[in-house]
Amino acid sequence: MPIIDVDNLVKEFHRPKRFDGPLGGLRTLVTRQMITSRAVDGVSFSIDEGELVGYLGSNGAGKSTTIKMLSGILVPTSGHVAVNGLVPWQERERNALQIGVVFGQRTQLWWDLPLADSLKIIGKLYRVEPDRYRRNLDQFIDLLGLEPFLGTPVRQLSLGQRMRGDLAAAMLYEPRILYLDEPTVGLDVVAKERTRQFIEQINRETGTTILLTTHDLADVERLCNRIIFIDKGNVLYDGPVDRLKRRYAPYRMLDVALAGDGDSAGAIRLDLPGVEIVEQGDARLRIQFDPEVIAVTDLITAVIAEHDVSDIAIVEPDLEGVVRQIVESGNTALTMGGDRS
Amino acid sequence: MHRLDAILTLAGASLRSEFQYRANVVTSIVGGLIYQLTGFLVVFIIVDRFTELGGWTLPEITFLYGMRLTSHGIFYATISQMFEFDRVLINGEYDRFLVRPMSPLVQVLTRKLRVNCFGDLLGGLILLLAASRGVDVDWSLAAIGMLLAAVVGGALVEGAVQIALGSLSFRYLNTLQIRVVANEIFNVYGNYPFRIFPGLLQYLLTFALPVAFVAYLPASVILDETNGLHVSTTLAVAAPVIGVALFMLALLFWRRMSRHYQSAGN
Repeated sequence: MPIIDVDNLVKEFHRPKRFDGPLGGLRTLVTRQMITSRAVDGVSFSIDEGELVGYLGSNGAGKSTTIKMLSGILVPTSGHVAVNGLVPWQERERNALQIGVVFGQRTQLWWDLPLADSLKIIGKLYRVEPDRYRRNLDQFIDLLGLEPFLGTPVRQLSLGQRMRGDLAAAMLYEPRILYLDEPTVGLDVVAKERTRQFIEQINRETGTTILLTTHDLADVERLCNRIIFIDKGNVLYDGPVDRLKRRYAPYRMLDVALAGDGDSAGAIRLDLPGVEIVEQGDARLRIQFDPEVIAVTDLITAVIAEHDVSDIAIVEPDLEGVVRQIVESGNTALTMGGDRS
Repeated sequence: MHRLDAILTLAGASLRSEFQYRANVVTSIVGGLIYQLTGFLVVFIIVDRFTELGGWTLPEITFLYGMRLTSHGIFYATISQMFEFDRVLINGEYDRFLVRPMSPLVQVLTRKLRVNCFGDLLGGLILLLAASRGVDVDWSLAAIGMLLAAVVGGALVEGAVQIALGSLSFRYLNTLQIRVVANEIFNVYGNYPFRIFPGLLQYLLTFALPVAFVAYLPASVILDETNGLHVSTTLAVAAPVIGVALFMLALLFWRRMSRHYQSAGN
């Protein structure tokens, strides 16, 4: 029984039609003609308890709109959602008790009050008993290193400190599900790493189910074993990260540095199946190969047999390149959603 | 019980937030008090000169002014955040409220406190107290009860209008101007005996916008000035109940309109 179940979810937005030209503004104001746009267009997926899933897509793909329906902010146009058995927009308050939500760009803390006060207020709103509150607070102070700025008003915190405060606030009442909407946006390298560590730890140690949207694919590669990729409101891919790579970027690269003066570079030819030289510089080669056709060891053996090699490296395709490829090719012929085994 | 506790927690937070800026608190309260008493001074001078206004004596006018101002102060202390509701919707703060286990309206109303409400409250109470000796009222328990109910009911009337108009923002996003105008009408016309207004205006200020129910009608009852009232005395006595009813209607309207919420982009 999945903890999050999304079935054929659709969200349409209606806006009054805009008119240009003379009296355009007035016509826009009084018109009854509406323009309808579909932000989410039939999304289905299910997530099991304890999963850490990356929810990806370009700007305007429908990520945030989906999260908003899962958390009870928006009412969908059609489709069904059950979060731990609750329909979020029908039982909004009960659902709120079982989810934590962090919006990377907006804090939920009280701007003018010390961080400790905000956490105390959250504890009260979510009805955390004093013992449990004390225990959780101590744990998060420890995990997130909150001690030095607990007494500082939130408006004076750095973005990284504020994010740590927001994460503590979202987990203080031990929700079973955590939605993270771009939790690392705008953070520096150190703060990003700290945030990722915390997310990973929370997922591993408490078994909290986490749904994460991000534009930083390093987050996904580091944290998620499954991704759901959406574009134009549709699920394009749902499955493990490495299978996505295999499917959309089946080739690997072999970077070869040649020893000697590099005279031989011009003469290099590799007549092997599934292999192609894509770049050739002085004393450098970049060879693209298909690991399904030729084993990497065979390729290396072949290269070494014919040339004097000083260094060799295998380059894995990065997720970013893969995602760019999917979005650029951008047609739904790629659709293969829901074939997760 | 938990609900009340949560409301008090949030209200306490907004109060403490405001007190982080001490100088601002003092100037706001003193400023609010001076502003309101200056407004009253004009009325005082005029009525003092002509000894009465619409058949009401100076203490009676003072009493009416004090009732209206106290109601306005209570309204301002509790509901004034409706004036910032458009911004709450547009900057996405409302999303935040919807993922918490409590009413989003309560969270809107308690997100901040405008401390100058204490100036209004203080001014209103001073005027009420000053006038209570001068007016010809036997301060029985019933009279005091009516006064308390009327002052709270008045705040509910003003609150109902602001919440109902604010609900329109779920659809149209920018409705602040309408609410500012409505509030201005309450402030300008709410403090006088209606007899000085032309007949049509009296009815408009009763049934189109319920200004009369805030202070004028209940004050007429308390001061026994119901002769020649433009509506029935029963309606005047019922003013606090009408306040409650209007407020509940406004909450229903809010709930209905909130279905149109589309959330902000990111």
